[in-house]
Amino acid sequence: MLQRMELVDLKLVPSENGEGNVYVYINPSEEERKYLVDALKLDEHTLSSALDPDEQARLEFEPEHTAIILKRPRNYSSEDRFVFRIASAGLFLFADKLIVVLGDNVPLFLGKQFLRIASLQDLALKMIYSSTAHFLEHLKIINMVSDALEEQINTSMHNKYLLNLFSLEKSLVYYLNGLSSNSRLIERVKHNAAKMGIGGESLEFLDDMAIENGQCYEQAEIYSNILASMMDARVSIVSNNLNWLMKTLNIITIAIMLPTLVVSIFSMNVSFPGKDHPGMFWIIMGLALVSVVLVRTVWWWKKW
Amino acid sequence: MVVHRTVVVTNPAGLHARPSAAIAQAVRRLRAKVEIRNRNEVVDAGNILEIMTLGAAQGAELQVTAKGPDAELALDAVIAEMAKRYE
Repeated sequence: MLQRMELVDLKLVPSENGEGNVYVYINPSEEERKYLVDALKLDEHTLSSALDPDEQARLEFEPEHTAIILKRPRNYSSEDRFVFRIASAGLFLFADKLIVVLGDNVPLFLGKQFLRIASLQDLALKMIYSSTAHFLEHLKIINMVSDALEEQINTSMHNKYLLNLFSLEKSLVYYLNGLSSNSRLIERVKHNAAKMGIGGESLEFLDDMAIENGQCYEQAEIYSNILASMMDARVSIVSNNLNWLMKTLNIITIAIMLPTLVVSIFSMNVSFPGKDHPGMFWIIMGLALVSVVLVRTVWWWKKW
Repeated sequence: MVVHRTVVVTNPAGLHARPSAAIAQAVRRLRAKVEIRNRNEVVDAGNILEIMTLGAAQGAELQVTAKGPDAELALDAVIAEMAKRYE
């Protein structure tokens, strides 16, 4: 799917004449990929990298354009079962156009950073920055989910909440990898700023991007460390909750077992003293009750 | 006070992580119990874990029900968060 847009008066708007200078290819078809490779001379491998979630972020210089592969968080869907994944995106910066290649259909160019776009280079930088902001928002959500799971674990005996926490831990590893990869990309863009036609305010913006990305990485690292270090404690809590349940069930079983024994002894089909006594039923009931009190007293005395 | 409304998910990525978190936060601030129904599944809108497992894709028709003193406010807040566009 192709979306054509253009930069008009420092704003990005949908192209009215069908031309434009910003082309967004979402999950490009075979025909579109052929056009990009043959007509625009995009490197086939780099184009595939833009759609491959496992590729590292990088910067490559081609004769007619600069290729930027960046990492961004993939939008979460309920099938992901608390695993937050990352995806790649490709920005192909030509002198007169920017081609954006993405694997999935997500609304782009939202947020205050896109309210004023000075140039195509500026737009490319803001897209990298927007990816860091997206990572940061997802980190806050991971923290919220982790807190909610912790609340559930405190009273639960199920493994599913623990498994969800493991999924979050895995997500943070993906995020750390994506953020460190983007960090290297930002450094490379900074070193090659002049070659890419980036200067003035955009250079300052690049510094801000590096700081933001670094902070985001540190935050992900802290969350990951907290989750990893607390995991054993949470496993113990679930195990302990289960132990408490087993203990309660045991109390019930033993409390019923002794009176059952007393009643069964008197139910034997043999002659026993006082069997013809008119109050024998209540005597047996009384003995059964005494056995319950006895169990309770021993339990209390032993502090079980 | 009980109020209901039906809303269609417009975001291409469906009701993903960020709107889910925003909805849960908005509901927790108000004195209302809000439920979201997607076909046969009903979840508590104040619980991020439940919203994230709702599986509401683009085009899904959700029934939002709010009870409590702030029911109307909570319903408006949930629908506003659902209508927001996220990257």
